[in-house]
Amino acid sequence: MTILLYGLITGILFGFLLQRGRVLRYDKQLGALRLMDMTIVKFMLTSILVAMAGVYLLKDLGWAQLSIKPTIMGGNILGGLIFGLGWGLLGYCPGTAVGALGEGRWDALWGVLGMLAGAGLFAEAYPFLKTTALTWGNLGKLTLPQLLGVSHWLIIPLMALGGLGLFFWFEKKGL
Amino acid sequence: MEEQDSRGWNPYLAGALSGLVIVFSVGLAGKFLGASTTFVRTAGMLEKLLTPERVNRLEYFLKEIPQIDWQWMFVAGIFLGSWLAAKTGGDFRWQALPAMWEGRFGPSRLTRAFVAFSGGAVAMFGARLADG
Repeated sequence: MTILLYGLITGILFGFLLQRGRVLRYDKQLGALRLMDMTIVKFMLTSILVAMAGVYLLKDLGWAQLSIKPTIMGGNILGGLIFGLGWGLLGYCPGTAVGALGEGRWDALWGVLGMLAGAGLFAEAYPFLKTTALTWGNLGKLTLPQLLGVSHWLIIPLMALGGLGLFFWFEKKGL
Repeated sequence: MEEQDSRGWNPYLAGALSGLVIVFSVGLAGKFLGASTTFVRTAGMLEKLLTPERVNRLEYFLKEIPQIDWQWMFVAGIFLGSWLAAKTGGDFRWQALPAMWEGRFGPSRLTRAFVAFSGGAVAMFGARLADG
């Protein structure tokens, strides 16, 4: 029960910030995909950079564990291509479709219904995919620090610097 | 659109705060943020209303059990949080068609419904295949 409450509170905070950051909009999502408006990328990458440093700090303090999904080239690459195609058509991703509905953009409702249908279809296709695409290039649970054999506190600042460089460039170009 | 934009927060600030939300979630609840598994669980719950024995046999629904969990509540929370922010910020408004869509594809709601539904189905299939 407590864990469900944590979920709800985390969602409310996250949804609030998504709305205030103006990233729940079709125009912003398509703006990013059309390389015209980088609002989404600014929000997402800043979020990732802060969370990356914070989560690794928690891990080093022994207060949290990482949750690493396996790298499966077949599933990741094919899934990514298919996801991108659908994202471009819908203009919302799974979480933002629900959020967009919350601020009254009710075309997202068709997207949510479509996503439920897509999830049902995937469940039907899973036995086949499990023996095909999901076995191609299974590299297991990888992280960059582990792959390169260096401390994560070398990778994290490099990622942050890369992100900052990108942000300065966005602002210079007015994206 | 410009006038509406002025009411938003700086995306770097909102992004950084959302990063802190992630850190607190991981630290306090041990939960990383995600949304797409919730669509699988909900699809399973809906299918269960029609064909319960079939859902119980599908391997994917044994992996992702159709029930309400942390992430399901998180996704419900996104809806509430967005509604709350839009209401308190004064930019809640019912909108059938995004401006950019209407400018390019015209005022047909049926076309938008068809493309949005198809796009949603394709996107979710891809997201699940990539396990993301």
